[in-house]
Amino acid sequence: MVLSRKEILRRMREFEVSDEQSLVITPILGDESDIFDADSVDLRLGTHFLLPKTLDQPFFSPDRSSAASLHVHVHVPLGQFLVVPAHQTILGATLEFIKLPSDVSGQVLTKSSVARTFIVVETAPWIHPQYRGCLTLEIANVSNTPVLLYPGRLICQLLLMRIAPPQDPTGRQNPNGKGLEAEEKPDKNYFGPVYPEAPKFNDPQEDLFRIGVTRVSHLKRTREYPTRKGWREIKPGA
Amino acid sequence: MSDGLAELLHDAAVLYGFVDFLEEYCREQERSQTYVDASGLFFRYVKDLAAGIKEELGREISRATRFPARLPVLQRNILTLKYYLQLLHEHIKPAADAHTLTIPAPLIDLASQQLRRVEGMSASKIVILLTPEFMYFQRPHTYVKEQARLVQAIIPQAAFPAKLGFIALPYSQGPSFFTNLAIYHEIGHFVYEELSKSDPPYRGVAALRSVTNRSLRRVFRDRQVVAFVSKIVESWTQEIFCDLFAIRLVGPAFSFALVEILGMLGFLSTKDLTKFNLTHPASALRFAEHVSLLEEDSWLKAIEQFEPEQKKLLERLAKIPRAKYRFYVDDQALGPQSLVSTFLASVVPAIRKLVREITTEPTRAVKRFEQDRQSIEDCLRVGVVPHTKTSRPPDPVSIINAAFCFYLTSLPKVIGQFEEPEAKNDLRIHSLWAKRLEMWTMKAIEDSQVQDRFRKLKGTALWSFLEKKS
Repeated sequence: MVLSRKEILRRMREFEVSDEQSLVITPILGDESDIFDADSVDLRLGTHFLLPKTLDQPFFSPDRSSAASLHVHVHVPLGQFLVVPAHQTILGATLEFIKLPSDVSGQVLTKSSVARTFIVVETAPWIHPQYRGCLTLEIANVSNTPVLLYPGRLICQLLLMRIAPPQDPTGRQNPNGKGLEAEEKPDKNYFGPVYPEAPKFNDPQEDLFRIGVTRVSHLKRTREYPTRKGWREIKPGA
Repeated sequence: MSDGLAELLHDAAVLYGFVDFLEEYCREQERSQTYVDASGLFFRYVKDLAAGIKEELGREISRATRFPARLPVLQRNILTLKYYLQLLHEHIKPAADAHTLTIPAPLIDLASQQLRRVEGMSASKIVILLTPEFMYFQRPHTYVKEQARLVQAIIPQAAFPAKLGFIALPYSQGPSFFTNLAIYHEIGHFVYEELSKSDPPYRGVAALRSVTNRSLRRVFRDRQVVAFVSKIVESWTQEIFCDLFAIRLVGPAFSFALVEILGMLGFLSTKDLTKFNLTHPASALRFAEHVSLLEEDSWLKAIEQFEPEQKKLLERLAKIPRAKYRFYVDDQALGPQSLVSTFLASVVPAIRKLVREITTEPTRAVKRFEQDRQSIEDCLRVGVVPHTKTSRPPDPVSIINAAFCFYLTSLPKVIGQFEEPEAKNDLRIHSLWAKRLEMWTMKAIEDSQVQDRFRKLKGTALWSFLEKKS
């Protein structure tokens, strides 16, 4: 069931922040009537971006060490703009920090007016219950012309859905009061970001080992030098 | 072509290449990074100056060809420009390194706003520099300004921005938040320099100096000795002034930050605590003054329920009897102890008075802290950026103090709540959560400023006009 404006506001106002049912969206800028629709909340574009970087190697390997090397972090303050070239995708974040209740999932959609400029926000739009942080947005310019993005402007809408069956908010504490059950804890990898975050990966061999794969190929860049017996690899530090 | 003219041409060409590089360097930095306003102002000055110098050099060469008698004057001008550019050179790269991704920009913005509310500092701006040295310092700007004035006689279109200060942060601490509260002390140095070098000097500073001179003359008869010890006392005065100034602006969080930094630098060893040296008063005295001001301003009462180690240390240091303070002129040799007693008896009270005079009473900040503290902590405890449910955002000074107290006392609890039990002693995880806490604090300050701006604009006639129009 999609939460109505009334329910969204009730959860934002009536519950303490520590309550499992509480919803946080902060800061709220502008008039409520501009931001809250009957069944969704409009969110603004934040001021930090990750832009794709030209790599110094012919491939990108989603592993532990290379994930962060894919992007360049830039800051565009309110009042300035970022140019997204045609056919390019960048990572941005919402200006608003969100905390979802334990019984609510969210979905991010491009605002229709933005979509009509051929800007597409999100290809992985699902937000799990208890998520907290500014939402990282994949923003693609699928048009043939560069498009300007202004931090602070409305860019996407958040739909909130009650999950069925609802989690029992009172049953979430350990009897000894030591905190949330391990399986119910929010995702630690993407906990509380305030800027767009680079993806986090394990090394492929770690992930594949978990399903019984023990031999994993690598693409590796090496430097070699000539010897009488042929080309030899230069060992790191040599 | 005469030898003199050839030499001038060569000199001018070298200088042209140098300023051309500086101009392009500033332009390139601004193209690729974002800076706080003051840095932008500084770069603009450098660019205007560079453009002016390039034009002037062309004119000088043409003058020299027509009037060879002017050669010495032109050579002197080039020398003045060269010397000044060397000075600026030291500032440009550290300023370029301090873009908004490498410094705590929301904190710098907040501190700059607070600075402009200090009496006599309404148009001030702070350029942040990143330094390879592991320390915070203010780069005295009076000399740069004096040289800039000489240069302005040659290049009239480039006026050095009035009330522009330079504060250096260690590059390793750039993006962190809590330790960078030390900049408030450095801002104090900037304020002190501005007020004391203004023409005429600010009356409060003049009064402080007169108290200092009178009391020193009573103890030391010899004029030369008085002149020498005055310089030492001036250094001590500035340190105490800057500490108290920082506390008036940002409350106890500054004291905690100072404890962290001095601890990191190894300056809190027992043997050094009571030691005055040629440049700094004893740390014990500094912290005793912190405690005394925090008590008078009701901050201590407001944070009485927090018991971090840093606070206990502050209180312990404050209790060290003043009779134990010793003045060392170097590592071994004791200096005249009467200097310390004169400083304590006459100068310190005058410093307190001056700080009170130029800063606003923190009553409102303390009250807001008491109101906001609980909700800020509640947010941080569950990993949420501090905010309120009303349209009035939490006060930035409340956010800083509540978050710092929370960081010092409750971080392990938050880690315990979200991480596995074995993570409790994992330094990597501890550091990760400390960073998160700093990010949430900075975001809260940024949000608070944006909301505040929005709230102020909303009531204005301009707002109503534009609303109607749209």
